Amino acid sequence: MKRELHIRVNGDEYHLLVETHRTLLEVIRDEIGLTGTKNGCGQGECGACTVLLDGEPVNSCLVLAHEAEGHDVLTIEGLGSGDTLHPVQRAFVETGAIQCGYCTPGMVLTAKALLDHNPTPTRAEILEGLKGNLCRCTGYVKIVEAVEAASCLLEGGEIE
Amino acid sequence: MKTCIVRKGLPRIDAIPKVSGEAQYTVDLKMPGLLVGKILRSPHAHARIKSIDTSAAKALDGVLAVITAEDVPENLFAFYQWQADKHILCTDRVRYVGDEVAAVAAMDDDTAEAALDLIKVEYEALPVILDIDEAMKPGAQLIHEGKESNSTWSVDRLFGDPDKALAECDYVVEGTYVTHQLAHCCLEVSNCIAKWDKRDKLTIWTNAQAPHTQRQEVARVLGIPRRNVRIINSTMGGGFGSKLVMDMKLPIASVLSRLTGRPVRIVNTRSEEFTTAKTRYPYTLHLKTGATKDGKILVRDLTLIGDNGAYHDKGPATINFSSMMFGTLYNVPNIRFHGELVYTNKAMGTAFRGFGNPQVTFATESQIDELAEKMGMDPLELRRRNVNHPDETAACGAEVCGCAMSECMELAAKEIGWEEKRGKGAPLRGVGLANMVHTGGGGRFYGFNSAEAIIKLSDEGTVTLITSALDMGQGAHTAMAQIAAEELGVRLEDINVLSHDTELTPYDLGSWGSRATFMNGNAVLAAAEDARQSLVEAAAEMLEADPADILVEESKVWVKGSHEKHDLSEVVDHTVNEHGEPISGIGRFVDHLPEGYTIPTAFAKNIPCFSFGTQAVEVEVDPETGQVNVLRVVAAHETGTTINQTMAEGQLEGSMAQGIGFALMERLVHDDEGRIVNDRFLDYKIPNIGDVPEMKAYCVESVGTRGPFGAKGIGEPGLVPTAPAIANAIYDAIGVRLHEVPMTREQIIKALKEKRASET
Ligand code: FES
Ligand code: FES
Repeated sequence: MKRELHIRVNGDEYHLLVETHRTLLEVIRDEIGLTGTKNGCGQGECGACTVLLDGEPVNSCLVLAHEAEGHDVLTIEGLGSGDTLHPVQRAFVETGAIQCGYCTPGMVLTAKALLDHNPTPTRAEILEGLKGNLCRCTGYVKIVEAVEAASCLLEGGEIE
Repeated sequence: MKTCIVRKGLPRIDAIPKVSGEAQYTVDLKMPGLLVGKILRSPHAHARIKSIDTSAAKALDGVLAVITAEDVPENLFAFYQWQADKHILCTDRVRYVGDEVAAVAAMDDDTAEAALDLIKVEYEALPVILDIDEAMKPGAQLIHEGKESNSTWSVDRLFGDPDKALAECDYVVEGTYVTHQLAHCCLEVSNCIAKWDKRDKLTIWTNAQAPHTQRQEVARVLGIPRRNVRIINSTMGGGFGSKLVMDMKLPIASVLSRLTGRPVRIVNTRSEEFTTAKTRYPYTLHLKTGATKDGKILVRDLTLIGDNGAYHDKGPATINFSSMMFGTLYNVPNIRFHGELVYTNKAMGTAFRGFGNPQVTFATESQIDELAEKMGMDPLELRRRNVNHPDETAACGAEVCGCAMSECMELAAKEIGWEEKRGKGAPLRGVGLANMVHTGGGGRFYGFNSAEAIIKLSDEGTVTLITSALDMGQGAHTAMAQIAAEELGVRLEDINVLSHDTELTPYDLGSWGSRATFMNGNAVLAAAEDARQSLVEAAAEMLEADPADILVEESKVWVKGSHEKHDLSEVVDHTVNEHGEPISGIGRFVDHLPEGYTIPTAFAKNIPCFSFGTQAVEVEVDPETGQVNVLRVVAAHETGTTINQTMAEGQLEGSMAQGIGFALMERLVHDDEGRIVNDRFLDYKIPNIGDVPEMKAYCVESVGTRGPFGAKGIGEPGLVPTAPAIANAIYDAIGVRLHEVPMTREQIIKALKEKRASET
């Protein structure tokens, strides 16, 4: 059964007709066409599909699209402005925290939400905050570095 | 101002598209008329197919095609055609849970799913064999009818006189080591789109590590000309060996496309990925090592049984490669190796980062420590007495070029605090280390080893680099671009790398065996040299100077001694727009075969370049729970010349995490009926960010390699020695020796119990 859905994604309003059992992930990728959000498992177990729903990270594969009715969604495409990367994105680029990149959008958004709440997290807090996001490539060393660097950049620091 | 990041290597050229969500993976592609394809898979590990009824599925609205074995070419397929044993869709028998039985193409996901439910298959169950010992019993149920036994392939290697050597040894240790099936767990699942067009050309978009050989494989199994098949890659979400050999979804989607006249996409679910995307070959290894009392290893004798799974894939190549690394490490003069592959009713094995070497190294490097223990010698000292040396030719024929084994070993030992900690650490804490050798440049297994690259400059001096080096995440594109940039004298950001289309790229064996940097890198270097020559000539003409005096750097051109620097674009604009002479270059690298090379006898002469490395770890074990906490891993690996420090470290760090998974966490578990029970991330645990310890990667440079600027591949070595290093550290911590990976809590508790019992 299809129902009207009104959501704001990256500041843009969408008015769609969507089946009630569709997930937010499916709507973002297939209906809206923003493919930066990834599907790694479709079961809420990898974090690749993380988006920010009213600023909070959610596994969009576990959220029904209609649950997001009237809410604000931020996907990786909405981070940063124009051609300027968000400091978290810059930190991921510069520290080498990206390999295949499939986990990256989810990682970056989870990290952003973490830093929004806690601008200077300890290492333990970073590990706790990102443990729902799997990465098979990097071994996470440079991801931890990236989050620390992002925190530093957000506090006004610089690269090199 | 605070400094947040100190750059060690240039950022990857694909980092910005990836971090901004712009990068397109195969699963992200859209196409007009695209249909959804799905595969009906066997729920039985072994059964006869008595009948298939597709009529209800075909009648469903929105279903455009339903196919079974009757609708696809009858050809049998395997990576090696001489081992061909698998149909595109099963004809009368299924051999593992997940075997392809039928397939549908439909308008959307839900319809395709519903259609699968409507296909009725009647099975007659057959005895299920999951265990290699059972499979090898005389009279065992044959998994492939018509074959003599389930033991399907074997190889023997002999160097020196192992029996005589064993008699001369003062110490001999013997043991059996076991490894299990593991899943690659690429975050992007295996998927494809096939489009069979009106001109009879078949285009497949997929995530392939070896698109040219997969193109040949698709043509072979479909019985169509190779020239009609084109494979297009997109950004890849991981490889690790899983995407070397064609997956059956490629020909299945192709047939569905031909029947419907529309492009058809098939994407694995995560459960399908766990159960059918193939696995690391499990080995059972019976190993003997003998040494003299002064610590010279004289002999090694290994019998290795590989669990092939239900069908052939890279098994022989994997076992052969294992034997080469086994023969080369420590240059042991007397070697006996027997390898065998055995069919079981499980998912088939395939290439997986390390290619059989992590399994063998778990056995050999664990046993070195057992030998040292028996001799009362420090295991580090025993290793010191047997290191490989630069420029030696090993007894097995391996030609070692650059070799930094001693440097790697001493560095790792020092960094882990070997002297202070080994045998004397805090209670329940221990340190261990392990060495390894691996290829740093692919192999000559196809009877040749070569690569080509093409470079062209635009009329503004930007560079298009066409290389066959696939980037599945390891960073090959950036490494290739850096090599070209360095040689040509252009800025990295001015280079665009294309590797995605078999119609565009030169024929190539693919990105495996830590091969891309060495092989494709050399080809890129040659192409850049070629282009540079034209560039320098053009500049000399324009600037009225001697070509020998022309300097090019960072996209600036000038005459030696002159202060007037010109933009590269000026030179190119001049030669293109005034003379009509665009600048390009082509390069080829041929890794010439050694004299007397033949594929069957070449053995370790198959390897153009070896890479050595050591890992040292510190662990803490909780004897109550059996929990092993890896506190620290130090990896010191040989890179020849490091092209990009950040990326090389990243390869090692990612490998170490996978090594920890292999050592302590990962195993596909089957129930009695052969179903994999842990087919999701919740149950098949790969290391998460909290599971990895402090890891430190050192890139140890060495000389003597023919790689570009002296570089070696570093994609695989980093997970080879992790598991034995951890096993050795566990022994140091609690005095128990584990012979099976993953080393689970249950194993540790059991071993501790046995140890206590034997002490009382
Ligand atoms: S795709 Fe949503 S958690 Fe994996
Ligand atoms: S970079 Fe590949 S999964 Fe994280």
